[in-house]
Amino acid sequence: MRRADGELIFLWTLPALGLIWLSAFLLFPGFVQPMSPAMSAEEVAAFYRDPENLARIRYSMILFNWFAVGLIPILALIVLQIRRMAHRTPIFSYAIIACAAGGPTIFLMANLFWLLAAFRPERDPQQTLMFNDLAWVTFSSQVGFLIAQSVILALAIYLDRQERPVFRPWVAHFNLVVAVLLIPAAFVGLALEGPIAWDGLLSFWVRNIAIGLWIVVMGVVLGQAITRQRAEGEAMAT
Amino acid sequence: MSAATTGAVPEVPAGSLVRKIAWHWRYDEKRELWIGWWTLVVFYNLYGLLFFVIARTQPPPPPSLAPAEIVRWFDDRRYGLLCGYAIVSIVGGATAIMNATLAYTMRRMSVSRAFAYSYLVIYALATLPGMLIMGVACTVGAMRPERDPELVSWLYDFAFLSFEGTMGVFLVGSLVWMVAVLLDKNRVFPKWFGYLNLCNALTEVVVAPAWIFKRGVFAWDGAIAWWINMAVFVTYTAVFLTLLRKMIVREDFGTGPLPELESDRALEPAGTLGAAR
Repeated sequence: MRRADGELIFLWTLPALGLIWLSAFLLFPGFVQPMSPAMSAEEVAAFYRDPENLARIRYSMILFNWFAVGLIPILALIVLQIRRMAHRTPIFSYAIIACAAGGPTIFLMANLFWLLAAFRPERDPQQTLMFNDLAWVTFSSQVGFLIAQSVILALAIYLDRQERPVFRPWVAHFNLVVAVLLIPAAFVGLALEGPIAWDGLLSFWVRNIAIGLWIVVMGVVLGQAITRQRAEGEAMAT
Repeated sequence: MSAATTGAVPEVPAGSLVRKIAWHWRYDEKRELWIGWWTLVVFYNLYGLLFFVIARTQPPPPPSLAPAEIVRWFDDRRYGLLCGYAIVSIVGGATAIMNATLAYTMRRMSVSRAFAYSYLVIYALATLPGMLIMGVACTVGAMRPERDPELVSWLYDFAFLSFEGTMGVFLVGSLVWMVAVLLDKNRVFPKWFGYLNLCNALTEVVVAPAWIFKRGVFAWDGAIAWWINMAVFVTYTAVFLTLLRKMIVREDFGTGPLPELESDRALEPAGTLGAAR
């Protein structure tokens, strides 16, 4: 039996994190039926002033504030798997480290704007509207690090030329598809209604389902890669 | 191992660009470095286009505008801002592979890995205030033309001051690279490039008054805070792209000094080369 190095603890935080994110997502009244960008300043202010909403906004965003960075340990495990790939340089693993620092910070910024809007709901509705806009635009449009993460991972997998590559090629194809699905959300500023608006089919549903799917699929293949790595390590030790 | 290392490597095909790229993808041992280099080249050009031509936020407008004028500034370039910064947010993550490639130059030096890691994290952080926050502020400013002008004015300040007034990341990042270049015994970059890093770091010092002045040379659109900075930054970027390309050509994936190029060796007196080895 090998000594516990903690990697499995990191891996098993993922289902817990998924559950917490899902609960926070369902708890936030602005997500279940996504808030429309076409709402007037008064409507947005009323949304935050509604006592039932207000508590749910604060509690859900406090949960997100605690766990927004929760995916970083999983990205660190992906970095370790990239290091096992047949590459000549550590560039791809470095690049994923850079994405791991950037993505969660953006999520936290959006979270701060939502919490700020909810902190003084009695503020002038124009100001509440602005904080709400800042939160939604940051949350929806800032897909750059997620796209980069998927593209870099795909490149790393394609260039992992060994007999038993760390991840199979379909994981790379899957990552490229996810990257493409995230692109439309960058254009949320252009429309207050329709599929591109931040509550629309592409910018909200497709984007967030793609992110959720990425977390589930990468969690599974990462678990398999780590299990195989451990089995190989033990076989070598005996 | 893969065919790339054991099999005979065919010649680089002549003619079509696609076939050349396919060859490099399959056989070029330095493809990871070239992916990084080309990403740097393509994206610096694209950023220039996005900031100067599409979004038209550079050269920057004056900080002294009244709220009504700021509203007009947003109205004038509404779709440029919304589309330009949408593209910035799609490609913004490419900085990860760019900074990873630059961090690799430090990894290849004879210095501690602490340099590469510091540079990587500092510049990963720099993407937010250096570019993405401005995109968010400009998008929010442009998306509702009827917004209260006082708030639009705050978004305008948020955009330009986060972009130009975030100094520390570039200051410390350049100094980390400078010290690495100056200490390096592997001759990854010439020593003068270390001092060019110092020039870049100093531009971040002289930009500080942009937080205080609304008019004149020190304001965010002034001769010192913007024009000199931009001139140094463009020179610095052009220089490190050229030096990085040369470094990749010289790369031997060893841990000792990088071999010189044939063309450079002819220029150098034999004595100094021997002494360096």
